Amino acid sequence: MSSRSSPRLEPRAGAIAAVVALQALAVTFFVVDVAADIAARVGPAHVTFEAMAVLALLAGVVVGLLQLRALLASGRRKSEALAVAAGALSEVIESRAREWGLTPAERDVAVFALKGCDIDDIARLRNAAPGTVRAQLTRVYQKAGVGSRAALASLFLDELIGAPLARTSDPKG
Amino acid sequence: MQTLEVRRWDPLVRLTHWGVAAGVVANGVFTEEGSGPHQWVGYGVAALLALRWAWGLIGPPEARFTAFRPSLGRAARHVREIVRGAPASTHRSHNPLGALMVYALWGTLAVVIGTGVAMSGPPGVSTPRIEADSIAQPVVTADADDDDDRRGGDREDRRRGEGGGEAVEEAHEVGANLLFGLAGLHLLGVAFETRRSGRGILQSMLPGRRAARSAR
Repeated sequence: MSSRSSPRLEPRAGAIAAVVALQALAVTFFVVDVAADIAARVGPAHVTFEAMAVLALLAGVVVGLLQLRALLASGRRKSEALAVAAGALSEVIESRAREWGLTPAERDVAVFALKGCDIDDIARLRNAAPGTVRAQLTRVYQKAGVGSRAALASLFLDELIGAPLARTSDPKG
Repeated sequence: MQTLEVRRWDPLVRLTHWGVAAGVVANGVFTEEGSGPHQWVGYGVAALLALRWAWGLIGPPEARFTAFRPSLGRAARHVREIVRGAPASTHRSHNPLGALMVYALWGTLAVVIGTGVAMSGPPGVSTPRIEADSIAQPVVTADADDDDDRRGGDREDRRRGEGGGEAVEEAHEVGANLLFGLAGLHLLGVAFETRRSGRGILQSMLPGRRAARSAR
């Protein structure tokens, strides 16, 4: 039960599972057939070939299962890494807000701006007038020493790209 | 920041679950008892069950046997929780009652499959018949002279095994009925637990990636 798997992983995992299931059905078919052949005294060459097909299919099933497991595990790791990254980003935002002396309102506006909300969205979310939000955002830019939202965002990205995600406990590093 | 998405079982669990369910319904309701299709569907179910068991050994953590060990103690505690009206606790895999149901279904299914195979042998080899005395019919098509004693032995086995054959058929039928009874209980359990916990237990077994939100 992968709680938050990436959308692209699901169809691939489903396809592998379907192929593995088909292979398992085929294995059963051949096993039954081999048993029938042995019972009916079909020549050993035929039975040997079929037995080899069974082994090959069984190997395919096992490999497919292992691959599916690896795929699911990597999806899980990715969503965990994403959570770590999200946590790291909010830590960075907190520490920057302190550093720049942002008021709580300014910090919230900055977070919304980083999330890509425009002035009207932020105003609606914060129950404030668009003019107020624009003024707060301008002060955020001033305090951060940047001229645009993109420049503000890049300040945070810099921090995250420079440091490996694992070292989230020390964001100011 | 708890996400309220429905946790879904991995695709292999879902596939084998619905495959086995479809096979059991097909053989219980649609195919003629002992017919070729009946036997092939049975082998298909056996394959899916074996696959699920392999997944129980090497699959992701919540699909493994170790994630839902059968425990009467835990099941009893779970029942007490329900009776007390305690809020539903979260389980990584099946809840303790569900785990018991899983093993009950698997065990019954294994009995039905085993007795089915014992009765029919490989499909397409022996001509399947519905009569009780056709049970455990070995192949009698071989007409070589050099295996008289072997065939004679087979016949004796069959004569001796007649009573056993009836017992096997009896077990197959009782097992199949038990299977449907358990499946009915399983459905009731899912419905009850969904109401109690408010979680999308059915959705977790359905296809699709974007989950409906469930109030927790």
